[in-house]
Amino acid sequence: MSTTLLTGSEAAAYGAKLARIEVLAYYPITPAFPAMERISKFIDEGDLNTRFVRVESDHSALAAALGASLAGSRTFTVTNSQGLLYMTEVVYHTAGLRQPVVMAVANRALSAPHSRFPEQGDAISQGASGWIQLFCENNQEVLDNMLQAFKIAETVRLPVMVNYEGYIQSHTLEEVEVPDQEKLDQFLPLTRVRTLDVENPQAVNTVASPEFYMDYKFRQNEAMEQALTVIDSVSTDYANEFGRDWSGLIDSYQMEDAEHAFVAMGSMISDARIAVDELRSQGQKVGLVKMRTWRPFPAEALRRALKKVQLITVGDKNIVYGLGGALGTEVRSALYGQTVRINSYILGLGGRDVTTEEIKQVLELSEKTEQQATASEWFGL
Amino acid sequence: MALSIADLPKEELFGQGHAGCGGCGAAVAGRQAMKALGSRTIITIPASCMATMGGSNLKTTWQIPFYHTLFEIAPAVSSGIRAALDAQGIEDVNVVSWAGDAGTADIGFQALTGAAERNEHMMHVCYDNEMYMNTGGQTGSQTPKFAITSNMANGKKVKKKNMLAIMEAHEIDYVASASIAYPLDLIAKFKKAAKKPGFSYMHILAPCHRGWQIPAEKTIELARLAVESGLFELYEVDEGKRTRTVEPTFIPVDNYLLPQGRFKDLTQEDIQDIQAGVNRHYGRGE
Repeated sequence: MSTTLLTGSEAAAYGAKLARIEVLAYYPITPAFPAMERISKFIDEGDLNTRFVRVESDHSALAAALGASLAGSRTFTVTNSQGLLYMTEVVYHTAGLRQPVVMAVANRALSAPHSRFPEQGDAISQGASGWIQLFCENNQEVLDNMLQAFKIAETVRLPVMVNYEGYIQSHTLEEVEVPDQEKLDQFLPLTRVRTLDVENPQAVNTVASPEFYMDYKFRQNEAMEQALTVIDSVSTDYANEFGRDWSGLIDSYQMEDAEHAFVAMGSMISDARIAVDELRSQGQKVGLVKMRTWRPFPAEALRRALKKVQLITVGDKNIVYGLGGALGTEVRSALYGQTVRINSYILGLGGRDVTTEEIKQVLELSEKTEQQATASEWFGL
Repeated sequence: MALSIADLPKEELFGQGHAGCGGCGAAVAGRQAMKALGSRTIITIPASCMATMGGSNLKTTWQIPFYHTLFEIAPAVSSGIRAALDAQGIEDVNVVSWAGDAGTADIGFQALTGAAERNEHMMHVCYDNEMYMNTGGQTGSQTPKFAITSNMANGKKVKKKNMLAIMEAHEIDYVASASIAYPLDLIAKFKKAAKKPGFSYMHILAPCHRGWQIPAEKTIELARLAVESGLFELYEVDEGKRTRTVEPTFIPVDNYLLPQGRFKDLTQEDIQDIQAGVNRHYGRGE
């Protein structure tokens, strides 16, 4: 174990290196590209025995990773925003083929208008794709989630996205503890499954008639439900091995006696922890629920974490047009039939700042709001 | 030593029980190619007739690993497969992407040009029936000028894009045209391509009797007339060296065109225009 200063991008790259990925495919995009360049450097310097497929597009990046995965290799790619949208067809396809590809996503706003700044709309757009999605609150968690992602993916045979926000996380240095390779190798042995194998020929993705298609989809969703258990158990195993406990599906902070809970995901969480501390020092009984897992949606864990509160405030760095914030919508759905008051806010789109101060303001605004007029209100316009 | 039919393996790795039409040119191409490629081959096929007729539900005609890919990605997928085989130290496996003219020249072109530029150790095969037959026969870039299709009742106004020239411009290891009417020529070319350390491109004219509006039993005959008339030249570019592999007899082009329903509205002027193109290409009659 060694402690070093790493950006989120570098943390993702170290995760891929420690996981000993065999095939890497990517197409450069801002702000994800430093992660790619770092892994390429590991390869060029002889620190990583990985084949790099220098594809001509994001669409082909995931396609190449998928091909390598089907041939039995551990594979990784990284992208964000327009790149993720461009590869969307392959994103869904990869999940349907049950391939354990891991993809880092340096979350960035979607065009139009053009923006290169942080937001979670890109990841949210893939919410129905069949990928497990983890969000990270800091760079240490980027590294730890990367390593857990391969374990989860290869256990349930589903692809995993590791989300961290562009710039706020991808380009910011933090102290990160890097696990020892030897110990990591024991935690993450490669479970090789060769789907495309000349020794055992199989046909992949043959046309499925109505008698078959729906049953495949049932199995795929069943695997997502199984992931709810696996994400928790991998998190516990990781904590036991490496001493850092990210609490599985969700994390609760100061929730024991909380009357008001803030629910969010990603980089806002670190700021929200400070906001909660400051409000508590003023005597307010606020707490925080961090959505570490966005897909599969951990509704049951969320209900348990929120069962004692009277007010829930959701912060969404995304907008589903005509509906509201995606997390707000999911939280309302998970708590359907319960008497708790839920207020949902859209904030921080396209890189607009969300600091501790903004989070405190949102929580105070929510305290004063009895009934929201719309599904989500906009904060910080 | 020249190949003979008797030398070919009896083993059928593709084609028995396929779901294509009787007289399907693509199926003939697949069967012939597999005689050269053998069982240590992984094939990826994007959306096309060839992909759907290769298998459905729990059945497949392929005796080798076969993956029906998304429309635009076969050469990229195959690049990833090769990378994985290399990473695992698995050698002597042919990695092939096999697409129709749309999956090669149009919607699939980006991934193809990418893989070719990287000189990936693989081959891409275009089976060209000159229209989008899996969706009912619409016009694409490989549809020849004047041909009538399901969405261009008055015929195509512009020329067919020359994919062989485009792929030759990538300066890859091997480029060849082939025809299902010349199986030994086709098989010899596949054997050559399979030995290359880098990228090979094979372009097979594989008539579709439905789209071309010819009797099913005329598939091979029309494929031969395309070559004999000089309209489809059989050649290879082997590491930059260009060689014509079959000398045409230069029968007049109307022998090839007029039996086809898709050319039923050709005027004498159109036919002269096409014949002039052939004469120009081969430097004849000047």
